[in-house]
Amino acid sequence: MMMMVSEQTQASASLAGKTTTDVIKQSTNSLVVDGLKEITRGLLTVLKQHNTDPITLEYPEVMPELSDRFHGRLSLLSKSDGTDLCIGCQACARVCPCDDLIQIEMHRDADKKPVIDRFTIDLGRCIFCGNCTEVCPVDCIKFLPDFELADYSREALVLDKKDLTLNGEESDQWRKEHGLAVTVA
Amino acid sequence: MMMMSTPSSTLTPPDVKPMQGVSVEKGFDTNDLVVNIGPQHPSTHGVLRLITTLNGEVVKDMEPVIGYLHRSKEKMAESRSLFQYQPTIDRVEYLSSFYDHLAFVNCVEKIAGLGVPKRVEYIRMITLELNRITSHLLWFGTFLLDLGASTPFFWAFRDREEVFTLFEKLTGARMMYNYYRFGGVNADLPSGWLNEVRKFIDDFPRRLDEYEAVATKNPIVLDRTIGQGILTKETCLQFGVTGPALRAAGYAADLRKTNPYSCYNEVEFEVPVATEADTYARYVVRVQEMRESLKIIRQCIDNIPGGDGGELGLLKAKVDEATKAKKKDPTIEVPAWNSDWDMFGKKINLLTYKPPAGEASVFVESPRGVLGCYMVTDGTPKAARVKWRGASFSNLSCLPALMKGHMYSDLMAIFGSLDVIMPEVDR
Repeated sequence: MMMMVSEQTQASASLAGKTTTDVIKQSTNSLVVDGLKEITRGLLTVLKQHNTDPITLEYPEVMPELSDRFHGRLSLLSKSDGTDLCIGCQACARVCPCDDLIQIEMHRDADKKPVIDRFTIDLGRCIFCGNCTEVCPVDCIKFLPDFELADYSREALVLDKKDLTLNGEESDQWRKEHGLAVTVA
Repeated sequence: MMMMSTPSSTLTPPDVKPMQGVSVEKGFDTNDLVVNIGPQHPSTHGVLRLITTLNGEVVKDMEPVIGYLHRSKEKMAESRSLFQYQPTIDRVEYLSSFYDHLAFVNCVEKIAGLGVPKRVEYIRMITLELNRITSHLLWFGTFLLDLGASTPFFWAFRDREEVFTLFEKLTGARMMYNYYRFGGVNADLPSGWLNEVRKFIDDFPRRLDEYEAVATKNPIVLDRTIGQGILTKETCLQFGVTGPALRAAGYAADLRKTNPYSCYNEVEFEVPVATEADTYARYVVRVQEMRESLKIIRQCIDNIPGGDGGELGLLKAKVDEATKAKKKDPTIEVPAWNSDWDMFGKKINLLTYKPPAGEASVFVESPRGVLGCYMVTDGTPKAARVKWRGASFSNLSCLPALMKGHMYSDLMAIFGSLDVIMPEVDR
């Protein structure tokens, strides 16, 4: 059957070079014996698995190890002193594939510094694609390795600025873990 | 001979005595029965409705009803910028979404003439082939589950999880990757990632052997697959069936070999072909393809320009620092940097990116067959038109022709062997 028999794939030798007709012929010589042989081989392979460790985790007692790139809950990092890092440039809102998921309202104070009045993310509609984290010019909006996001109502999934913002220490910790410049002023 | 029981032998009504108290004067009434299979059925792998006309237990006619999963993916492209549209492609064919992304970004690269560094092409090839393994593993598990074997399903999912953990480390997501970018990839390989992949591909052949020990020559599997659902080369070509189903019919059509894209012309691998064209041949071809994918991944890991991500990242940081310092002090020497090691051919601003007006079509070999993307751009950030050619649609369309004359109980074995995924059919 296989036209491409190669010596590297030793494991495929069971099939290589044989046609399905061969397999049938082999079986029909003594169908019962061959069948029993194969079923025994299969069952022995299954039995071998009994000695292996379980691969499942006893969640929630044991939590999975997540990579630092994990797409979890979105958050807003702050500067090291705890003030807002976001400059309200609307870049994240513009690349978001879900309409109006990220809503930002901002004004500028007397020194022309941006002040964020409102920043909401509707996690109920978020698809966790990561577009917003990629275009943010000040590395402010980022993912946290937090996946337990279920809640009792849709309204509770709309996170406002207070829910999203990490304080200065947490932000520094995040930047340290992800290899960014830690102190941001 | 048990194996070779032809479907026609089942056409005669079985010789059974009528139940007590039931008087049958003229024998069996042989009216056709129309059975509605699906749309919610555990074996349809999605939402597929099959209006089946049965004569006894033999399928006389069949009409697939599709569209339950239609989400207007092509129309969505016209109301979103290219970068905004990209995450939604993951949802077209979620079992091997790297392929959809490759077709999509290759279209943009073709239109805009963006070059891709060699390291990126190798990263793409590693992820693509790992993705082919996960896709075939899912097919392997569910196909045998359709045949009644539940153990291989759990084994396949166990090993699939391992690859998904690797993907999670690389892209941050297990199935919805959104990793490729126009002219590059989102981020470099994490430190030590290639070693983990190597560990997996070293161990995986042993597990494939275990799968084969359980399934490949199991008499029940052989009995239910050999000689069933013969999809000849001619039928394949009539319906546009591609992928493993076509290769199982003796046609060595693989775009990676015939029209190499990415860097597939630099790796050595073989295209598994079988001539029997039955369900069993499709099974054998897919299992063999997984072994070939391992070969490709191994060569890519050995030959990837720049090697592991960690050391390269440190060098890149040094180069960037020295380049910055050189502007002030021209005497500083910048460490050598090979353009092959870059993550982007030409870094573009995704927020404002506008490809020039043009059109391009790209075809790639996905685990299910030929996947095509056709794109027309008009100089705005949005695409004027995006058209997808999913392999599943064509592979499904041959099902009525394939099923005629087969037993109803073979339907899910034959349908499962085509490896159709409904979100790709409906889009």
